[in-house]
Amino acid sequence: MTVVVNSRDDFTLENYRRVATGGESVAIGPQARTTMAEGRANFLHLLESDRTQFIYGVTSSFGPRAKLTIPPDEQRAHARAFGFRRGNWARGFGGGYLDERVVRGIVFARLANFVAGNSKARPVVAERLAALLDGPLPPVPLDGEVGAGEVLPMAHVMHGLRRGDLEEGEANPLMNGSPVSAALAADTALQAGHRLDHAEQIFALSVEAFGAPLDAYDAVLDDLWGDEDETSALVALRRYLAGASPGGRQSAVPASYQVLGRVLGQAHRAVTGVEEAARVSLRSVTDNPVYVPPDDGHPLGRAFSTGGFHNAMAYPALNALAAAWADLTLLAQRHVTALGAAAASAPLAPDPGSAAGAATGLEPVLSGLVEEARAAAMPTLLPAAVNDAQDDVSSPVFSAYRRQASAAECFDGALAVLAAEASQALLHAGRQPALPLQDLLAAVRAIFPPVEGNPRDIGPRGGDLAAALARSAVTGSAPFGTSR
Amino acid sequence: MTVVVNTRDDFTLTNFSRVSYGGEPVRIGAVARRAMTASAGPGPAVGSPGKETVRPARWATPGADFGGGYLDAAVVRGILFARLASLVSGHAGVRPSVAEQVAALLDGPMPAVPLDGQVSAGEAVPMAHVLAGLRRDDLHAGEEEALLGGSPCSAALAAGAAVGARHRLGYAEGICALSIEGFRAPLTAYDEAVDGLWGDPHETAALRGLRRYLDGAGTAERRFHQAPVSYRIIPRVLGQAHRAVAAVEKAATVSLRSVTSNVVYVGDELGRPAGRPVRSGGYLNGMAYPALNALSAAWADLALVAERQVTALNTAETSGLPVNLVAPGAPGNGTYAYGWAANGYVEEARAAATPALLPGAVEEPRADVLSPTFGAYRRERRAAECLDGVLAILAIVSSQALFVTGRNPAQPLLPVLSFVRSVFPPIDGTGDRDLSADGGRLQQALGTAALSGRFAT
Repeated sequence: MTVVVNSRDDFTLENYRRVATGGESVAIGPQARTTMAEGRANFLHLLESDRTQFIYGVTSSFGPRAKLTIPPDEQRAHARAFGFRRGNWARGFGGGYLDERVVRGIVFARLANFVAGNSKARPVVAERLAALLDGPLPPVPLDGEVGAGEVLPMAHVMHGLRRGDLEEGEANPLMNGSPVSAALAADTALQAGHRLDHAEQIFALSVEAFGAPLDAYDAVLDDLWGDEDETSALVALRRYLAGASPGGRQSAVPASYQVLGRVLGQAHRAVTGVEEAARVSLRSVTDNPVYVPPDDGHPLGRAFSTGGFHNAMAYPALNALAAAWADLTLLAQRHVTALGAAAASAPLAPDPGSAAGAATGLEPVLSGLVEEARAAAMPTLLPAAVNDAQDDVSSPVFSAYRRQASAAECFDGALAVLAAEASQALLHAGRQPALPLQDLLAAVRAIFPPVEGNPRDIGPRGGDLAAALARSAVTGSAPFGTSR
Repeated sequence: MTVVVNTRDDFTLTNFSRVSYGGEPVRIGAVARRAMTASAGPGPAVGSPGKETVRPARWATPGADFGGGYLDAAVVRGILFARLASLVSGHAGVRPSVAEQVAALLDGPMPAVPLDGQVSAGEAVPMAHVLAGLRRDDLHAGEEEALLGGSPCSAALAAGAAVGARHRLGYAEGICALSIEGFRAPLTAYDEAVDGLWGDPHETAALRGLRRYLDGAGTAERRFHQAPVSYRIIPRVLGQAHRAVAAVEKAATVSLRSVTSNVVYVGDELGRPAGRPVRSGGYLNGMAYPALNALSAAWADLALVAERQVTALNTAETSGLPVNLVAPGAPGNGTYAYGWAANGYVEEARAAATPALLPGAVEEPRADVLSPTFGAYRRERRAAECLDGVLAILAIVSSQALFVTGRNPAQPLLPVLSFVRSVFPPIDGTGDRDLSADGGRLQQALGTAALSGRFAT
């Protein structure tokens, strides 16, 4: 399949998923080609009207030399040299690389600038850009990508683009703006929704394993608390606990079970925040300079500088998500502790079904995961470093993306341990969870069978559980890789 | 005036402000009294939970001081107001007379509520301070827990922060616009066309805020090329602050009217209006502290961008303005080193932006998750104070830039400039001035404006 883009409204999260994760191609639609051709013609009229007017990167040099003007007869050569020089700007190295699906997403997000004619570029440039998605994409290092705007990572992304025939005004829309932030937010958003669903299932399994009272998730709380995100969390927990027997539950329950709806609600809020940042950013025109088509007051249109290259909504949303994962990681650790204490103090079921012990032995792993997640939740702020007097504020989005990913990885690990412990506790007590959780329990046990005796491979199996969860977050499959 | 509360819908941010900052008393309305009477029933609360599930209430020792300073009396008033939301609907199983006693506390002086040592599972520890003056010897079973339980502190702390934040954002936009005028930055970065291109409501709000102040600004003497990044991205950074303020307002709005009692009483299958007790985790507010964290981060980022603008204005090679903004022929160093002073505020603001997460400590096996709201609140206060410091410096430097070039800003900014100069007159090289004291007064004036909402009016 091919995603056809005709307007900014085609830059949706779903289309992003199709291109980035699904590997689909992108075609520039006829409406977009017409709009771009008109935009290009109008821009050239504006440029020809006065080639001494200031248009950043077109009639001027760039960055700290923006005040230097480029003579009219050198402006085309400047455009081509500009493009090449930018291509040589790829300076970041080390720290691993962005997954190729994210690089595909950046190329997709970049096209939003073009389709409405704001880029000043010919349709052929957008088509050439879209064609990058039909081949392998270059590696984009994770270290060294913090600068004003996103030209550093974009120089890597555009490595394979033919630039020798670029014309005036066509280099900047390839490199400037903030498509990287849009793609990093979108990539995170797609995984975060899946991860939150996994969390709700596994915490519900923990509720069943502990035998926690169900009234902490009662439907009356939806209205009494009155928050849409907490309601979403409560609804999800009730869905997975449907049919759970209210009898035989513990009378004394730790706070970590009672506050589950509230802390998961926080995660819902954070996921919604990053989804919103992705939706808005994917369809934003962030190019600098931007071309605005003619209107009554400006018959030739306008090309002017903005701060679109700095995305200020993606990194705070990623920060909030990292913090939500860190808090949930702590909550998972508290659940595991509670399950262990309850199992140790409870009499063994008359017929536990096996010689399973009260715990898996994975519990000590959690302290490290909690601490790592909390470290990753330290927010990424605007970088303290200054490149030069003109480029005096940099974009922190790469760091925020990496910290969120680190917090998410820790949370996957904590969920894996909680799932294994809940499975173990249920077996130890000779109980089955509510019906909607039984497939989940089977999937957990397929990877991490209940522990009997003192097996040597619990660490690797725990790692397998965490890896399966991480894969499921990317693909959207049910937790631990079973089909939805 | 008196705020009469009848239902949860009366627990609005506006009524919070009236009670907290306006000092108005609260009365329990007839509708609320009926609801509470119907649900509380005669004698002990209906459906009081089993004794084993009731954690012992802990009342603070009167006069106990755990340090760290105290909550403002206005915020303590707000906590008392927020406490009533869980009571008036009848879900807490508390008699009207008890709610009236709580409301009556607002007619007297507020108790001291220490800022340190308030982290616990739920908010029973600070609530014990807040309710220290309440008569407790005739409380029925369940009423004590209803008074100490839930999360009214989070609601009030979020509401207090929200009220101040909206005002602070307003004057931040005014001072950033003054800086744009001082620097003579091109206005296109704030053009109306950008609203649709970026397509974000919060950034649009920021762009509109800047345009409102810059309405009628001249275009003739502006630099022909683009301004430094810190000027071009200011609408996006202010947009981030708009988003954070909206989030804390939402957290406050939702939390103020939430019923968060540890045990709520709801209708049962027999039709009794309060026949079924439901024990929940309402005592942990999961939305206030993340919202406060985000607000602290937004203030820290805004402080950094403001500091960069101070540097740009103070650097002649960048701004094209006189060196150190020294008035022509005047002695002294002008605004030199104010940028250095801004650095300290920026670093403190960034430290305060470290988020308050769920605390690592465990009180006891059942109290295994604690509330971090007090920590988040204190950090937001500190980040806001530091932002005010940087904004004061930016206002001083912007005013000076206009002074040394003999210019006036756009008409809507004249009251802002007048406000700034009423506290910090331009440095004209005459006489001795304590520039630290003058700057501190401007910072304090901004802090006062955050509470009062009166800035340059």
